[in-house]
Amino acid sequence: MTSLLELDGIAIRYGGNTVLSGLTLSIDSGEIVGLLGPNGSGKSTVLNAVTGFTPLASGSIRFDGRRIDPLAPHRIAQRGIRRTFQLPSMPTRMSVLELTMAASSEHHQLCAALLRGRATRRIEHATHARASALLEQLKLTAVAHLPAASISGGQKKLLSIACAMMTEPKLLLLDEPTAGVHPNLRGELIDELRRIHGLGVTLVVIEHDMHFIRELCERCVVLDRGAAIANCKPAELDKNRRVLDAYLGRAHRTARPLEAP
Amino acid sequence: MSSFLIHLLTLVCLYAMMALGLNLQAGYAGMVNFGFIAFAGLGAYAAGIASQLGWPLPAALLLALAAAAVLAVATARLGRQLSSDYWGIATLAIAEILRTVALNESWLTGGAQGIGGIRPLFADLPSPWRDLAFLALAALCLALVYGGYARIIHSRFGRALKVMREETSLAVCFGYDPVSLKMRASVAAALPAALAGGLLTYYISYVGPDVMVPSETFALWTIVMVGGLGSNLGVLLGGLLVQSVYSFAPFLKDWLGVSSDLAGAVRLGLVGLMLLACLLWRPRGLLPERLEALS
Repeated sequence: MTSLLELDGIAIRYGGNTVLSGLTLSIDSGEIVGLLGPNGSGKSTVLNAVTGFTPLASGSIRFDGRRIDPLAPHRIAQRGIRRTFQLPSMPTRMSVLELTMAASSEHHQLCAALLRGRATRRIEHATHARASALLEQLKLTAVAHLPAASISGGQKKLLSIACAMMTEPKLLLLDEPTAGVHPNLRGELIDELRRIHGLGVTLVVIEHDMHFIRELCERCVVLDRGAAIANCKPAELDKNRRVLDAYLGRAHRTARPLEAP
Repeated sequence: MSSFLIHLLTLVCLYAMMALGLNLQAGYAGMVNFGFIAFAGLGAYAAGIASQLGWPLPAALLLALAAAAVLAVATARLGRQLSSDYWGIATLAIAEILRTVALNESWLTGGAQGIGGIRPLFADLPSPWRDLAFLALAALCLALVYGGYARIIHSRFGRALKVMREETSLAVCFGYDPVSLKMRASVAAALPAALAGGLLTYYISYVGPDVMVPSETFALWTIVMVGGLGSNLGVLLGGLLVQSVYSFAPFLKDWLGVSSDLAGAVRLGLVGLMLLACLLWRPRGLLPERLEALS
């Protein structure tokens, strides 16, 4: 296995608030890594840093062997990193299908649009077919012609995944994919993410749902106050004292069960 | 009456072309431009100056297009540093700077007098045919712009603009560069406006600083808002309505017996009323933007 994504001592500060303090993390090609931690531990900030939305105060990020932290966010996306948002916000004046088609950003030249030659039409057809197939897979065909902003929160999460898959990314970063998704759909979401993983996509998943993490991830990284406090298999989490401390507070060590003799 | 109708339709074609440009930039790319008339004004002056130098029509129009494209790139680059509302104010300032330059650089622009005596097109044709030929030319240009824009909007480029106008960070995640998209959309929006401005110079055989007054941008915005922001068909309807009100307003002078000063004010007021009525009752315009049907 080769390292696909390497975070080397990255630090991020918002004003005086240090959100990440020297985080070092390596993700191999073909892994599914869960990113956990209490609220405010810096999980989403890691995603923002990797995708170039938040500038680093120090440290570096390498993707596929090359540094990406000095690049503009759209350049990073072009290298093959796609992400979804915790609260996906969708356009009101585009249909679900149109937005999915828009997610494939290659060949968007103005002159090609004006001339509309045979090659351009062929690419259009292929894009339409691929978008329709992805929507079908994610059970969004029924809403394909509705405004993207009008569908439910759970459907928006699925739509984000459909959009991310339009260009066969190397790395897919998912910010709480199950939040707001109906429990019945979680199983299907796991199957879908496994299928995506099977296509050779490396996944990083931020999630609070431990069942989801246990079923899907091979490894998880736990953040607390901007630093990694655990890097282990999901099954080993509940024996890790630092993780328990971060989630439950130190009080759990001294608290006695009510029926204790 | 028929010559008046030809005159009205010619102006509808020219102003609809400018408004289509504004609609591409503001309606699809989401760039709120309050100085859009600068593109048309630059085109009008470029055509006027070139024809004074004795250049043939195609060369004059090419100069008009080139000048507007340069201005479009320059203003879009300015947008890298500014958020959209501040950019809107900056565009108003740029248009006013250009008008002030046109008003004062007499050696180039003729100052307040402007450049007159420009030889009209089709000057050899007899009277009604000359105007009809010009109307046909303007209508052809409008049709080309309309068709070209339809292709742009229904393309990958058009979809990129639509994602960017509402969800810029989503567009960035998809790998689109907003600065480049805005720059290209601005150029695509400026060219028809400059062409229309250039044709207007030939049509009225004159160009002066009044082509660039802020109320002209206001008129273009009214056309777009009345018709429907993001709807090119709506812009055509808006162009017809607003230009009709503009052109019929002078008749009020005869019907109501008011002075010509007052008639001019009534004209502007009527257009303002139209805009207000539209914003109150049809805020998305008479023919609102519809979701693209992708079957």
